[in-house]
Amino acid sequence: MAKRITIDPMTRIEGHLKIEVEIENGKVKNAWSSGTMARGFEALLLGKDPRDASYVTSRFCGVCFSVHQMASARALDAAFGARVPWGGTLLRNLVMGAEYIYDHLVHFYQLSALDYIDIMAVADYKGKDPELNKVKDKVVGLVKRGDTFPLTPRYKPDEFCVNDPDVVISAVKHYLDALNMQIKAKNMGVIFGGRAPHYQSIVVGGFTQLPDINQVARFRSMLDEVAAFVEEVYIPDVVAFGTGPLLPLARAGVGGGHRNYLSYGAFELNESGDKLVFKPGAIFGLVGTKPQRVEPFKPEKITESVRYSWYKKETPKHPYEGSQVFDLQRPEAYSFVKAPRYENVPMEVGPLARGLVDGDPTLLSLINNHGVRPGAVARHAARAIETKKVVEAMYQWCDELTRIMTKPGFRIHDTDHWDPPAESEGAGFFEPPRGALGHWIRIKNHKIANYQAVVPSTWNASPRDERGVRGQYEESLIGVPVPDPENPINVVRVIRSFDPCLACAVHLIDPKTNEIRRFMVE
Amino acid sequence: MAEIFHGLSRRDFLKFCAGTAAALGLSEIFTADKIAQALQAAAGKPPVIWLEGQDCAGCTISLISIENPSPASLILDKISIRYHETIMAASGRIAEEAREEAIRQGGYLLVVEGSIPGADDRFCMVGGRPFREIVKETADRAAAIVAVGACAAFGGIPKGTPTKGLPVSKILPGKTVINLSTCPVHMDHLMGTIVYFLVTHKAPPLDKLGRPLMYFGTSVHDNCRRRAHFDEEEFLTDWNDPKQKEWCLLEKGCKGPETYSDCPIRRWNNGISFCIDAGAPCQGCSEPEFYVEQSPLYAMGPVTDRILAKKAAGLIPRKDNA
Repeated sequence: MAKRITIDPMTRIEGHLKIEVEIENGKVKNAWSSGTMARGFEALLLGKDPRDASYVTSRFCGVCFSVHQMASARALDAAFGARVPWGGTLLRNLVMGAEYIYDHLVHFYQLSALDYIDIMAVADYKGKDPELNKVKDKVVGLVKRGDTFPLTPRYKPDEFCVNDPDVVISAVKHYLDALNMQIKAKNMGVIFGGRAPHYQSIVVGGFTQLPDINQVARFRSMLDEVAAFVEEVYIPDVVAFGTGPLLPLARAGVGGGHRNYLSYGAFELNESGDKLVFKPGAIFGLVGTKPQRVEPFKPEKITESVRYSWYKKETPKHPYEGSQVFDLQRPEAYSFVKAPRYENVPMEVGPLARGLVDGDPTLLSLINNHGVRPGAVARHAARAIETKKVVEAMYQWCDELTRIMTKPGFRIHDTDHWDPPAESEGAGFFEPPRGALGHWIRIKNHKIANYQAVVPSTWNASPRDERGVRGQYEESLIGVPVPDPENPINVVRVIRSFDPCLACAVHLIDPKTNEIRRFMVE
Repeated sequence: MAEIFHGLSRRDFLKFCAGTAAALGLSEIFTADKIAQALQAAAGKPPVIWLEGQDCAGCTISLISIENPSPASLILDKISIRYHETIMAASGRIAEEAREEAIRQGGYLLVVEGSIPGADDRFCMVGGRPFREIVKETADRAAAIVAVGACAAFGGIPKGTPTKGLPVSKILPGKTVINLSTCPVHMDHLMGTIVYFLVTHKAPPLDKLGRPLMYFGTSVHDNCRRRAHFDEEEFLTDWNDPKQKEWCLLEKGCKGPETYSDCPIRRWNNGISFCIDAGAPCQGCSEPEFYVEQSPLYAMGPVTDRILAKKAAGLIPRKDNA
């Protein structure tokens, strides 16, 4: 007899997400992913000055705050016919690189780590390290005062939770250290971006701030500190967990999903843009590391289905033709996330997709030589691996910027293409930390006539599509062990491994409006 | 003190208090020591319930961007976060139970991030319930209510969407709601407001829009370092031109003269920079008109036309005459 449980709110993610799963014989048999909040930004933009879009869409999300500004500016670049000068591209890349480091550190330590460690094991630490003893005193002090919020309450630790006091105490110390490191990474972006969250300086045509040499020096010295943390703490932690206590979870490939992967490619390493940190492409049906089919990325293959989403019913459409007219009355709908599909199939996007499409040797070696199968643990590993790649590129960009910025005629903005064209259209693509992001704009009479964004979490958190095929979160939950329905910790692990960021994706309304359906066993 | 401000030396703590006192304009009334005593007297760590409605989590990210105290110290030592969807370990039912228990105990600080849908409750549901109901029931036993960010304070961007986002004050008539209205909230504004409340047990003096005067009492324009160029009508038109680098951003749509916030003095992210320093026009994010009535953001429009008309009429005096 199957039991259905609901986890709502799904916490430690950005946005509002509800996950429902049906459990039979200790495993997930079926799953539904639905967000529970809508704002309707695209509808708001209709009729506005197109240049507003990059500012407004940054507010899609305060975590991945300015990748939308970037994708939006690129859509506008295309529509306005703007050619961003190399100086502008370098500055955009530097602030986006800072975003990568900040975002991946926060995701691993603040948003995910608590699912994998039994934090109270620190009380059993017997070592002499004074720093670690400070951490022990801090946590024990909280327990003594009876106020361990927000570290508790929590799901019960299970067999995958690390409870070795030495490992846990250093993990907790790194959790606290990472809080300071993410500020440093964020502050790097602020030097050029103006403030965070919500950078200010990425606009159509390029960038708004002519940098000075002191800013680059400051950025670089902060990069040194952050890069050291990535190298000496973050990567070793991911390796220690992934090859140690989590290896069984990693080898089982728990949370794998459809095993189709899409990356738009990102981060120019040279002025012509033919060398990228992440190359674009699509992988269909990965078995081991052998895809059944690999293809170049073709934007025209993207469509969105709203069969199970709370929008006015229509056939699947390309984003240029898409609309956002809410319809709360449709009985079969259960999510306001649309269902994007590529060649009509669901795709996983994000660090694992980027690494696989890029053929990253470290990631492939994890899969081929260590038996790690694509799934929840592999996603954490892919993040750490790519953070290092981005850090290396950031040093190159710093050097290149320093080289060109002192030359006369240094440019950061295409001022000739600042005024909105009368009629045009354009698409902008980027690979934010969470995965493939696209913005599409149509301009008529110098105003926005249509605006659509297909965001990473729309790909991953989508509901079923036109043909009833499950979205990536939903599929990745099938078969996940849930021995105790009161303690669905594996479900939250799998979902959090995607780094859900729902505000930009989700527009879900529960059809049973006033019915209280919290986490319960039916 | 050591009990409450674990991990922070007394000297550092007093420095924090002194900085806060100066920021709040309290230096004559409250010495750092007095603030320290008041915080010590507060029973343990003040409990906080942080709700997220139609938000982007930008204010939450501001919260963990704080440097003094560090976010770890803030979260573990200074305040007791009983409920916060993005930070708390708990999920699902046990998360909701933590909130219910905190409400039963009462006396907490309620922080709301994000707006409340006005068009239909179904646009924001948490734990299967309308966000509007959750805010109302949590507000009942709160010691103070703070709306953080443009969305919670004035409706922000969602105000203009089909969901018709409402500010917190609209659904809590008769209650004092402290509006910290920049998009996102400035952490100094939030920390200072919390400290002020702990010391005085009341809201700081507010303007007619519910914003603390100590942060929102002067216009961005009054403190802008590009101000002299506004007076000389030197308006930046080309971001590539080093000569224009410090010129006034009015032609790029700056709303500074009609925007009230201390951004140019305080700046953002621990003083590193802010919008105008990055060559980007002020978009009036602290004002009730944000965003729809501030559009177009990057061009001359109704707001900038009005500013120029005021300038022509002598209503915006030159800085040296001010």
